[in-house]
Amino acid sequence: MTVPLLSVEKLEVVYHRAITAVQGISLSVKPGQIVAVLGNNGAGKTTTLRAVSGFLGLDDARVTEGNIVFKGMRIENRRPDKITHLGLVLVPERDKVFPNLTVAENLAAPVAHRAGRAERRRREALVYEFFPQLAALKGRIAGLLSGGERQMLALGSALVGSPELLLIDELSLGLAPVAVESLMRRLVEIRDGLGLSILLVEQNASIALEIADYGYVLENGRLVLDGDPKRLLQHQDIREFYLGQTTSGERKSYRAVKQYRRSRRWYG
Amino acid sequence: MQLGVNIIVLAAIYALIACGYVLIYRVSRVLNLAHGELMMLGSYLLLATASTFTGHPLVAIAVALVLSLCVGALVYLFLMRKMAGEMVLAAVLTTIALGILLRGVMVIVWSAQQQYPGQALGVVNPAIALPGGARISTMAALLVLATAVIYGALFAFLRFSRWGVRMRAAGQNPLLAAQRGINLHAIYALAWGLSTLTGSIAGMLISLDSGLTGTMVLIGLKAFPAALVGGLDSLVGALFGALIVAAAEISLIHYVDPLLSDVVPFLVLIVMLIIRPWGLFGTREELDRV
Ligand SMILES: Nc1ncnc2c1ncn2[C@@H]1O[C@H](COP(=O)(O)OP(=O)(O)O)[C@@H](O)[C@H]1O
Ligand SMILES: [Mg+2]
Repeated sequence: MTVPLLSVEKLEVVYHRAITAVQGISLSVKPGQIVAVLGNNGAGKTTTLRAVSGFLGLDDARVTEGNIVFKGMRIENRRPDKITHLGLVLVPERDKVFPNLTVAENLAAPVAHRAGRAERRRREALVYEFFPQLAALKGRIAGLLSGGERQMLALGSALVGSPELLLIDELSLGLAPVAVESLMRRLVEIRDGLGLSILLVEQNASIALEIADYGYVLENGRLVLDGDPKRLLQHQDIREFYLGQTTSGERKSYRAVKQYRRSRRWYG
Repeated sequence: MQLGVNIIVLAAIYALIACGYVLIYRVSRVLNLAHGELMMLGSYLLLATASTFTGHPLVAIAVALVLSLCVGALVYLFLMRKMAGEMVLAAVLTTIALGILLRGVMVIVWSAQQQYPGQALGVVNPAIALPGGARISTMAALLVLATAVIYGALFAFLRFSRWGVRMRAAGQNPLLAAQRGINLHAIYALAWGLSTLTGSIAGMLISLDSGLTGTMVLIGLKAFPAALVGGLDSLVGALFGALIVAAAEISLIHYVDPLLSDVVPFLVLIVMLIIRPWGLFGTREELDRV
């Protein structure tokens, strides 16, 4: 058994000292893995990622219980820039690029911890290698990029920090299916090329499970399912509630939904 | 002709002071209302180094410049840093309190009397005759030059240097900047340091030109409308704002009444706030954040 790169144990996050957003979340990412976290809107996916990346502070949210261990170090409630230097980088859901900076400036801004001048140049060149489209847009203001280009730039800026673990919040959000397909393939290339690990949060379950090595399902701030992606894809509940398929081909009634709620197992 | 020269000199003074307001506002959305006092402190620091390093004016000036840079950074690290995450209003109130405190301390240490750092340094300030019969003092000419050089350097820094780009990034989205590994405290300390440095350069040159008293704070305050007229988050705006305010002030002094001097900048400000509240070069959204 390999030691996990990231392990989250019984995480609880509270907003404004009153709203418990997630509770009892445990998950782990092993080196080289792509791990998918699925769940509907409001399930707590973003909150979990922000807790792991130290992104909570300014929103008056706090990790109230549990621990987050990255490379053997406890990192809950650490400053986000320090966590980034450790090699854990988040690509956030919204506002993921600096809109008034050019593409080149967006790639110049991130701190490449402990990297000399040459290493820094190598990393920026690497970004253009993975995303050749960006090379033609170097002088363009990031606010004028299309959704897909913006996503590439966000991934590229994250790569400049030379992460060992990349956290990605809703890669597919607002993108055409073709664009999502190609980005997902690019992610696998990046993982294989750089040997990093990826924790991928998605509402789009089928596409995430296609490239993932392991999957978790969140609902209402709790973990309800986890397992091998192939098994998850076959799982009755996933097929019905995330892929919108029913065995009989028609939508389930309210009664059936309630039935489903009772049949899930609860963790934590 | 002389009128034009006077406008240019006053505009340079306002512009050099205003860029300090803009720098801090742009990266941290905080209005530094102690800028006038910090600028005066810079001039007193020159007075102090001038008497310490007698006979070496360049050393005295260099040391005073470094000290004022440090003062700005220290104000952030020891005072304003505590305000991170608090309401912007709390931070602005803190700067007002700091200003009052600094003013009190400066009166105690250096008294309220008019002082002449130029004498202490042993520099002379002869008038230079310009074509067209206008005259300009050496220090005023230096001030115009310094403003041009400093604006050029600031533009280059913000556009081409990595830390300048990071400063702009932090101004746009501090959370994302921190996420990209940028140390926000270092960025803010740098902004405060540069702001105090440029303000102090203005203060030093003014005091070398015409002596040093408590009225310097008022000059700092009068430069604030220049920054606001330009839009607060724009250096180009500050340049134009300074020019507009200076032109209005000098013309009204000349053609109407010298007593208007201290009122004009704020009149311009009020007119501006009525017709275009986000400033000449400011962005409309910026207004919501003030
Ligand atoms: N800034 C916030 N303040 C208060 N509650 C929040 C905040 N952000 C998220 N929440 C709450 O936390 C829960 C999880 O939200 P989120 O993590 O954004 O879910 P997801 O990313 O899965 O859509 C939701 O119930 C939401 O209402
Ligand atoms: Mg989300």
